[in-house]
Amino acid sequence: MSTAYGAIVEEDVADAPISQPTSLRGLFRNYPRVAVASGLLLLLVLVAVLAPWISLHDPIATDPSNALLSPSGAHPLGTDELGRDLFARVIWGSRVSLPIAFVAVAVGLLVGGAIGLAAGYRGKLTDLFLMRLIDAILAFPALILAIAIVAALGPGLRNAMIAIGIVQVPVYARLMRAQVLTLKELDFVAAARALGASPARLIVHHFLPNLLNPLIVQISLSAAAAILAEATLSFLGLGAQPPTADWGYMMNTGAGFLNNDPWLALGPGIAISIAVFGFNWLGDALRDALDPRLRG
Amino acid sequence: MKRLAVGLFGALFLAACGTGGTTSTNTAPKSGGTLKVALNSELRTLDPLKSSQVVERQVYYNMYDSLVTIDQSLKIKPGLATSWQYTDPTTLQFTLRTGVKFHDGTDFNADAVKFNIDRYMTTPSSTRKSELASVKSVEVTSPTTVVFHLKRPDASLLAQLVDRAGMILSPAAIQKGGADFGLNPVGAGTGPFEFVEWKRDDHLTLKKNPNYWVPGRPYLDQVIFRPITDSNSALAALRTGDIDVATTNSIADKDIAGIKSDSSLVYKDVAGLSFAGFEVNSASGVFADKANRQAVAYALDRGQIIKNVFFGVHQLSRGPIPPSSWAYDSSEQIYVKADPEKAKSMATGFSFALKTPNGPVPIQEATLIKDQLAKAGITVNIQVEEFGQILTEAESHKFDAALVGWSGRIDPDGNMYGWFHTGGSFNDGQYSDPQVDSLLEQARAVSDQGQRKTFYDQAQQTLVQDVAYIFIDHGPAQDITTAKVHNLPLIADTIDRFAGVWKG
Amino acid sequence: MLQYLVRRLALMVPVAFLVSLVVFSLIHLTPVDPAALMLGEERTPQAVAALRHELGLDRPLPEQYVTWLGHALHGDLGRSIRTDQPVVQAIFERLPATLELGFAALAWSVLLAIPLGTIAALKRGSPIDVLATGFTIAGVSVPNFFIGILLILTLSVGLRLFPPGGYTPLTESIPDNLHRLILPAITLGTVTTAINTRFTRSSMLDVLRQDYIRTARAKGASWRQVIIGHALKNALIPVVTIIGIQVGSILEGALVTETIFSWPGVGKLAIDSIFGRDYPIIQGIVLVIALAYMFSNLAVDLAYAWLNPRISYT
Repeated sequence: MSTAYGAIVEEDVADAPISQPTSLRGLFRNYPRVAVASGLLLLLVLVAVLAPWISLHDPIATDPSNALLSPSGAHPLGTDELGRDLFARVIWGSRVSLPIAFVAVAVGLLVGGAIGLAAGYRGKLTDLFLMRLIDAILAFPALILAIAIVAALGPGLRNAMIAIGIVQVPVYARLMRAQVLTLKELDFVAAARALGASPARLIVHHFLPNLLNPLIVQISLSAAAAILAEATLSFLGLGAQPPTADWGYMMNTGAGFLNNDPWLALGPGIAISIAVFGFNWLGDALRDALDPRLRG
Repeated sequence: MKRLAVGLFGALFLAACGTGGTTSTNTAPKSGGTLKVALNSELRTLDPLKSSQVVERQVYYNMYDSLVTIDQSLKIKPGLATSWQYTDPTTLQFTLRTGVKFHDGTDFNADAVKFNIDRYMTTPSSTRKSELASVKSVEVTSPTTVVFHLKRPDASLLAQLVDRAGMILSPAAIQKGGADFGLNPVGAGTGPFEFVEWKRDDHLTLKKNPNYWVPGRPYLDQVIFRPITDSNSALAALRTGDIDVATTNSIADKDIAGIKSDSSLVYKDVAGLSFAGFEVNSASGVFADKANRQAVAYALDRGQIIKNVFFGVHQLSRGPIPPSSWAYDSSEQIYVKADPEKAKSMATGFSFALKTPNGPVPIQEATLIKDQLAKAGITVNIQVEEFGQILTEAESHKFDAALVGWSGRIDPDGNMYGWFHTGGSFNDGQYSDPQVDSLLEQARAVSDQGQRKTFYDQAQQTLVQDVAYIFIDHGPAQDITTAKVHNLPLIADTIDRFAGVWKG
Repeated sequence: MLQYLVRRLALMVPVAFLVSLVVFSLIHLTPVDPAALMLGEERTPQAVAALRHELGLDRPLPEQYVTWLGHALHGDLGRSIRTDQPVVQAIFERLPATLELGFAALAWSVLLAIPLGTIAALKRGSPIDVLATGFTIAGVSVPNFFIGILLILTLSVGLRLFPPGGYTPLTESIPDNLHRLILPAITLGTVTTAINTRFTRSSMLDVLRQDYIRTARAKGASWRQVIIGHALKNALIPVVTIIGIQVGSILEGALVTETIFSWPGVGKLAIDSIFGRDYPIIQGIVLVIALAYMFSNLAVDLAYAWLNPRISYT
């Protein structure tokens, strides 16, 4: 999750040179890993968008007399315990996992960003209170908090999305706050404020541009964490509900059928791994490309 | 003389346990050894007073004895009581077995029986009350005779006394155990095995009772129960010899075929006592309309469900009384084959919510039901919920349909009255038919089996045609063991009795 | 430094209260009745109501919270609804299994990651480095339950080398315990191995660039002397500071790993309790985990601050 591998630490933001984002074409040309990772993710998104056309069967139509078939021409990954085509279900699974992840990250970004901004800008008591709130969220290992939230609100994708969003808030709050604190004292910001610039203008014209690089990296890593979290919640039965074709949930069922038909678990498992790997790889490559200080 | 009587009854008891449907009895029994048994979940308590789970009974029947027992054909046989008679319809007298001692050394006698029955009836937290609802009082007339005074005639009482409501524990042990007795019932039973220790979620150990009232029994030195909730783990443990016996429902249906074809394992089954399917709310909502219920009943393809979800291990159900019962009526054909066209003619175009317990098999079943009913224009919304939540909502009648079944009781009354009598404690769907009520009441009050069957046949036909419940399947009672386990009786109540079992 | 510590501890108190409030209210948000669940088949409305009263579930929520908190401060976290066992006892009974799994996972993770990360740093850009770097990303991308399932599929169901789960206490049989420990430990340790490899590699790269290393080499020290004598020690310092992240990852991973392998630790208890609506146990475990995690993070922050004086104590 975002507390684990890859989170941008606020100290890095504080010390990073104030840089401009590089052009996209330059990015791709000079850093081939970024190009390849982006390509992989683009493919993933295409699969999700084109699912109705590239999956040859209906993912939720049952066919009980053809249950648990091995992979064949008609069914590239075989069928599941109710005779549904596994390949179709894996393809359609992307239409659940990807949007959920994006929304969760967006929630974390917007809510966290707002909190960080308020805390950094207002300072003093606001800062103290808001940061304690953030600390309270960070007091729990991310997945455990997400599980507890979903266990309380009730299983379902909507609640899973809320839970994952909440867990993403601290990273963005700290990121924004660190940026605000750093820049708040600088001369040109003080000058802009003296001239009467509104907070909105300051955010858009000064804070965000400098935040853009670490932000892009973090978003990519957050997306990876969110997909993984949703898959884990659904695997535990707390996320997607039947008969939704969801990767994590399919692995839950598949785990019970390992003796009988391993593909039920392998198909979705590989899908999750590819999606998460893609976002992590992109984030990693972007970090190397955009912020030399962090290069390893 | 006493010795002869004990021996005679002991032999009868063994005959009851040991005949037919057991694992091979060709070679001579060997004494000794430890039997490792897999349970499909952990127990909550070892005190029959508070017991509410089927799995707890697996341990109880090997530690505690009841007043009466059953044989393969579900006939009531002597247990701690050697004989009984109704001196009048509301007075039941038991003659008790002599020379029996509890594991703590105290004597089994009529006072102990009264103590236990009173305890089951009067303790506030007792879960046995509804089973003993017809009993007014228990009277000790001699150290070996007890008289039950009943409020009303109750033909199902003897069957109730086979199970927990009739289990007699040592009063001294109960008092000594105090508040934690249910976790540590040392010396409490009279059964073939004594309690040694219980480590939650790990193992529960029983050891041989050297003074068991059946001479020469048990053969085993020890029985160790382990809760293995994952059926794949249970299967693996069975194959490696980590466990010797898997209790009913601890191995998933999908793996039964694999067990049958494995020569190191033995599988036997017989129709159980349970019925399964889903409850429907006949009082309010979409199922208050009988036509809707009938449409669902006609549209369902039970054969397909049994083949796909239960891999053919379960049997088709035509009503609440299972094939193992003397009251079974196989004449009911009305819903045996799916008929979507007939269903559409009754009602179509409606939808309902099906509350489904959170597990792979119920979810698979619900999904299949959803698809089958869609063919008849009926929409099902699957609501997966924790089992406890479903029970709460069902009890407060806030549901359309709920995938809840019944583990079943020996006496047909146990599968009928509580479920289908107006106001019955399990009648969540609030089904109410005065004719059925009257038939069920009469069937309880009369003792002649033939007469009772007539009542039950009629009641069953009515409530099945009224679709008081959507019956789908009856689960089996299973003996699943390694080839080294011998003489395990196969009885429809799914309980594994180890008194006569030997390993070798 | 001491000031920093005192301030952090003081700030932790309100956070701890917030945490307890969060834990308590989360579990009570849904109107599910654990009493009905407990009674199972034997439920009658009267029995359910009686049980609710016995458990104190019919009291108003604020009162339940205060009662709970009061007891908690005395070390009493209530009793399990499902098994009637004291929560503290239930957790401590299962702690050894989780600790054993956690340590095993961390141990093999460190044993593999440090050499791997070092070699990757030394042979930067080589195929080994590419593979190792790829592994560091893949290791945190493949869900740990998938790794567990793959291991079970190949080594347990397929080759029958290991049992698919279960647990034997060390006191009963050490060989059997270790035999069953292997697959879950590999599963749980994969994420931390990836993290550790990554960090070892990057901090080793940083260290190798330092002047004193070049000086040592110039003086004629062999690579091995350089690595073991100088580089490793300094490279490991930053790695130690990410132990906080690893503890979190182990705690998270344990939930799923213990469930897949039927490993009777605190994680499996948590999951079982969630599905069993066992409020007291869920509250107790989440509270204990949060507090343990908070303290471990504090320790890590202190270590990091001590080692890296550039950081201001904001």
